[in-house]
Amino acid sequence: MSHPEQGDQQPSGGFLTPVGSRRTFFHWVTLAAAGLVGLGLSIPLLSTLISPAFQRRRRAWVDVGAVDELPPGHPKQLDHVTTIRDGWLETTSHKAVWAVKQPQGDISVFSPICTHLGCGYRWDETERKFLCPCHGSSYDVNGKVLGGPAPRPLDALPSKVEGGRLLVMYKDFKSGLPRSVEI
Amino acid sequence: MPSRLYDWLDARLNLKPVQRTLLDEPIPGGASWIYVFGSVTLFLFVLQAATGMFLALYYAPTPDHAYDSVRFIETEISLGWLVRGLHHWGASSMVVAIGLHMLQTFLYGAYKNPREVMWMVGVVLFLLVMTFAFTGYLLPWDQTAYWATQIGINMVGTVPLIGDVASRVLRGGEILGALTLSRFFAIHVLFLPAILIAGIAVHLFVLRRVGPAGPWTDDRASLGAETFAPRQVYMDAVVIAGVFLVVATLAFSIPLPLTDKANPSDTSFVPVPEWYFLFYYELLKYVHGPLEPVATWMLPLCVILVLLFWPFIDRNPVRNPIRRPVALGSGLLFLLVVFGLLGISIKNLYAVPRMDPAVVKGRAVYAQLGCVGCHRIHGEGGAVAPDLSTVGDTRPDREWHLKHFRDPQSVSPGSFMPKFPLTDQQLNDLTSYMLSLKRAT
Repeated sequence: MSHPEQGDQQPSGGFLTPVGSRRTFFHWVTLAAAGLVGLGLSIPLLSTLISPAFQRRRRAWVDVGAVDELPPGHPKQLDHVTTIRDGWLETTSHKAVWAVKQPQGDISVFSPICTHLGCGYRWDETERKFLCPCHGSSYDVNGKVLGGPAPRPLDALPSKVEGGRLLVMYKDFKSGLPRSVEI
Repeated sequence: MPSRLYDWLDARLNLKPVQRTLLDEPIPGGASWIYVFGSVTLFLFVLQAATGMFLALYYAPTPDHAYDSVRFIETEISLGWLVRGLHHWGASSMVVAIGLHMLQTFLYGAYKNPREVMWMVGVVLFLLVMTFAFTGYLLPWDQTAYWATQIGINMVGTVPLIGDVASRVLRGGEILGALTLSRFFAIHVLFLPAILIAGIAVHLFVLRRVGPAGPWTDDRASLGAETFAPRQVYMDAVVIAGVFLVVATLAFSIPLPLTDKANPSDTSFVPVPEWYFLFYYELLKYVHGPLEPVATWMLPLCVILVLLFWPFIDRNPVRNPIRRPVALGSGLLFLLVVFGLLGISIKNLYAVPRMDPAVVKGRAVYAQLGCVGCHRIHGEGGAVAPDLSTVGDTRPDREWHLKHFRDPQSVSPGSFMPKFPLTDQQLNDLTSYMLSLKRAT
């Protein structure tokens, strides 16, 4: 037990209480202790709160098939299978992308989503057009708009060829805009 | 508080009387460092609540995601490991703080008339905190969590008449599974906090009605009283900051690895409870057969009842500990038994098993070659290649490992594991290490 020294004490409502510089000292030490705990705690807590906001989605190149299997000038739909990490969830994503080997040998890969409102389109071999069943947008083999409400050409996906295999990175784009905007 | 904002608010809300009520509470005999434990406990509760809320941002209370979500907090969220560490060590510290708070109250005879109700509410708060600890332990859904909870619930099952029903209610059915995890989570983060906050309110209400006990002197009239602020507030704040630094240092320096994900079919796993349940874990080792119920529920029930009704069992009105030999003696005996059992238990747990030197060297080779980049052992490492946690059970053949390390594809066609240039010595050591990786027995 420590007993208060009488010199710096004054009765307050019948009770003793420190005054003057002693009182100020207790006040500031208390504030410093509260500040230390508050700061020490808020840094890790806020860090956990905002940390996922700064984590970018990692996209990977996915092997969608051999380049030789693409018939020149004829679009082919290829499976794009990848593992998606959503927080602690790991799911396998199945997408299909359209790949066209142009007569010169260049390969274009298109997102399978119509740029108008996000429907899935198909290739019509007899008309040699990509046709969207929802609102009748149509595109040529290079993805250029031929008709219908589509505001822009088909969205091209990044692709590259390595060791005879076609690698594609999948992306999503906003629909309905005159220019390609990645989501 | 000479700030203009305060004056502005005070002019409208008449805050001065509130401030006086809160801060000018008289402390008989003056402020003291020995009175800080109640405030420290309250602070630790706030710490637990805050860290718990932020852990709940990511935690998923289902058996298929709980473990992964805790791993996610540990590895992917920046400083997530620190928040989990603060929550873990905060829980341990809370048990210590309550222990010291009760010890101080006991020594000072502060539970005696007129403070019996405050003591009893305090015992209930202590039991609630232990329930917090028990329900929180299951949430990471790793092997330790699963099997320790299994044992805890089975002990409830030994209580006659109500045991069977009680254990089913706790589990939410016959087996420990999805329903157990979700109800433990709900109890831990919703029910218990609500009850505990109400209990703390009652505890503090009683404190303000009867006032703090002060020193144990018989001559109460001679005691001058000092106001709570600023000196007791300052003492509380200094100790709270110290406790926070200790908890933060522990969280920083001691990692909390998860064991393997809970596997209900692996009955060989031997769980170890948290240190504050260890004395009891040790006690259960000594009691078998028909006497078992004595240890699993009769003794705990008796201890709880004695604690709860202690102010009515110890009817001696004297508070000076020197003049209460019987009360002090029985308290001391209780502590000796608890800490004796705790000591024996810790000694047994840390009795290091003699390890084959080849295994130790093999482990070093494993670390040196970066095997951990692809393989996982007890939750640590990549998930690209097979998990090796129990490879000693699944591949007990020494020759297989020797062949496999020389040329992985020869025994495991299609494997993409590279050939590592190993000396014969390293090859043997690494194999010994692989064979030592077995389920806990």
